[in-house]
Amino acid sequence: MGKLTPKDLERIKTAHADDGKDWIKVGMSTCGIAAGADKVYALFVEEIKKRNLNIQVKKCGCQGMCYSEPSVEVRVKGLPDVIYGKVDKEGVIKILDKHVCGNALVKDSIYELRTKR
Amino acid sequence: MGAKIVFIKDTAVNQDTTQDFYVHFSNILRENALEGKVQVVRVADIGIYGQGLVVKFPEENIIYANVQEKDLKNIVDKTVRDGQVIKELLYQPEPKQLRIVLRNCGEIDPENIDEYIAKDGYRALAKAINDYQPEQVIEELKKSGLRGRGGAGFPTWLKWKLTRETPEAQKYVICNADEGDPGAYMDRGVLEGDPHSVIEGLILAGYAIGASKGYFYVRAEYPLAVERIEKALKQAYDCGFLGKNIFGSSFSFEVDIRLGAGAFVCGEETALIASIEGRRGTPRPRPPYPSVKGLWGKPTAINNVETLANIPPIILKGGAWYASIGTEKSKGTKVFALTGKVKNSGLVEVPMGITLREIVFDIGGGMFSGKGLKAIQTGGPSGGVIPKEYLDTPVDYENLQKLGSIMGSGGMIVMDEDDCMVDIAKFYLGFCVDESCGKCVPCRIGGYQMLNLLNKITESRGELTDLDSLKRIAVAMQKASLCALGQTAANPVVSTIRYFEEEYKDHIVNKKCRSHKCKHLLNYNVIQEKCKRCRVCVINCPVNAIEGDKEKGFFVDPKTCVRCGKCYEVCKFNAIFKE
Ligand SMILES: Cc1cc2nc3c(=O)[nH]c(=O)nc-3n(C[C@H](O)[C@H](O)[C@H](O)COP(=O)(O)O)c2cc1C
Ligand code: SF4
Ligand code: SF4
Ligand code: FES
Repeated sequence: MGKLTPKDLERIKTAHADDGKDWIKVGMSTCGIAAGADKVYALFVEEIKKRNLNIQVKKCGCQGMCYSEPSVEVRVKGLPDVIYGKVDKEGVIKILDKHVCGNALVKDSIYELRTKR
Repeated sequence: MGAKIVFIKDTAVNQDTTQDFYVHFSNILRENALEGKVQVVRVADIGIYGQGLVVKFPEENIIYANVQEKDLKNIVDKTVRDGQVIKELLYQPEPKQLRIVLRNCGEIDPENIDEYIAKDGYRALAKAINDYQPEQVIEELKKSGLRGRGGAGFPTWLKWKLTRETPEAQKYVICNADEGDPGAYMDRGVLEGDPHSVIEGLILAGYAIGASKGYFYVRAEYPLAVERIEKALKQAYDCGFLGKNIFGSSFSFEVDIRLGAGAFVCGEETALIASIEGRRGTPRPRPPYPSVKGLWGKPTAINNVETLANIPPIILKGGAWYASIGTEKSKGTKVFALTGKVKNSGLVEVPMGITLREIVFDIGGGMFSGKGLKAIQTGGPSGGVIPKEYLDTPVDYENLQKLGSIMGSGGMIVMDEDDCMVDIAKFYLGFCVDESCGKCVPCRIGGYQMLNLLNKITESRGELTDLDSLKRIAVAMQKASLCALGQTAANPVVSTIRYFEEEYKDHIVNKKCRSHKCKHLLNYNVIQEKCKRCRVCVINCPVNAIEGDKEKGFFVDPKTCVRCGKCYEVCKFNAIFKE
């Protein structure tokens, strides 16, 4: 990347404006990783590739819900954005089966689940 | 189109009837032939507390609180079917958190500079360089009222102005990311979640004071933060936000990282500077302040991570905007690491002036333990405890100080009846005694002596005169220590004595610790009525302190007992008491 001008900043901003695509975000701070977020992240990547799904997996920092790590936020068109807490391997599969492919929230109460804002 | 989604959660303090409510809700939906069209979701947390049954329609953002089962029919008829709002049930929570510093944390990928730029990143830098003279940047900060978030609350604009005005060709800026307070991890959260916001703040600081070089001083125990800062710096260089002639101007700026080896005192600015220079990390007397004589003897502005993360939004939205948030003397927001006996522990960012009650109960969800709140510790080892009587105090620098604590860097530990105030004081003082660099006598000897007195009190050897000795040594340390570590180390002791003197006296006179924390003050014995004479405690006691036989019953000999608690643990019939 060469030197950016203020115009480039605008351009990047527009390019990154919400494109309506689906994504999964995994909280990957030290605490998240200590709770297993890296394994959760890797499993998402692996499973999505295996199933050939059209959804992006991203990393992010502290979501402020440090009590329920690893936490995963999911955006799928037509459903509200939610954060699943205490996600383990089983949780990853459930989120993919139900939320991403089944167009319904994973309501099993073993997971913490909350709307954002 | 998927099903319509409804969230439900019982937010009552002492019960959770969400499951019953769920069944009832589902039944009504079935009766109305809506079952396939609506998904009712039980959530573990809905961000609202103490408002009974809460029903939320996330799409329309309609929230009903204190819902009764009889309201359900109405909700299904009106809101589920027709999308109508039922005014009587409506609940409109005021958002308690305000995320300025944490604006991007948990939102963006910290390792991707484009995502930061997409959130208006580096626009403040472009704006400052193109539109503002350095003095105007400082002027904007003055309007904002921003004060240092590293602990002392010194006005940031003034620090920058003093550094700028010291005549010297070479100047430096330093980001203090040493974060050593036990229980605090705000800075780590920001550095790991949004490193560019801090880097942009640091570059702006360099521009404002006329420095060409900046340093990150990060503790080595934060490897992930270091890795993310390194990546972010490289990206910023690649994009031209660092390096020569930034945005085509004559301003050039470089940043390096220095790792701290984990000494708490190295967070103190003069010790930190010594450490970067490769010398032993001990404080020196001030003045001269770093703004006059800092790194390599040159004028240096040193700021905390959170302080710097505040700078870009202030430049972008204006000082007046920032000053509209908060109280008269404390502007903006503060990030706290909320921990202890609170349900939702985590990083919270709140406007100054919010009450402690709102933080603990409305944001934190109340007590984890179901026991009563006893006190809140703020300011870590330099701070103190605030008892529950003051929960409605608006949080700002002045108020916390009046209560004998400090804002500090942002640790906030919620304590309940199981926490012993003498034990807490001992923990923090012990930390400072371990971390004292030993350069000056009041801190080195005073801290040690105070700790001995606390040990004496918690080991049942306390005398009432010990309280006076504690107070006397505390004053000497406050007055005569060289740096703020020693000057504030006694605060946790002073503040617990101030509010909980009775508890100290209980330890000293009655030899009792009401929280059952101080094990030397505990007495174990057998409750004869409950004892089934199974001998399990007798077998498990490591020092054979339990005497007697199956006929007479068993008794603990207090002289032999070492208060290990084993018998209490192993008795299946709860026939051992401790007090
Ligand atoms: C023992 C001791 C430890 C400190 N540790 C830190 C720290 O970890 N981070 C920090 O920002 N400030 C720390 N400070 C405060 C710094 O000396 C300095 O005041 C601060 O970095 C200034 O930045 P600010 O004006 O942005 O708050 C510490 C002070 C003392 C006395
Ligand atoms: S007060 Fe304590 S830490 Fe500070 S210089 Fe003196 S001995 Fe060292
Ligand atoms: S507390 Fe420990 S030492 Fe004392 S009686 Fe019980 S088992 Fe024995
Ligand atoms: S730091 Fe992990 S969610 Fe807060």
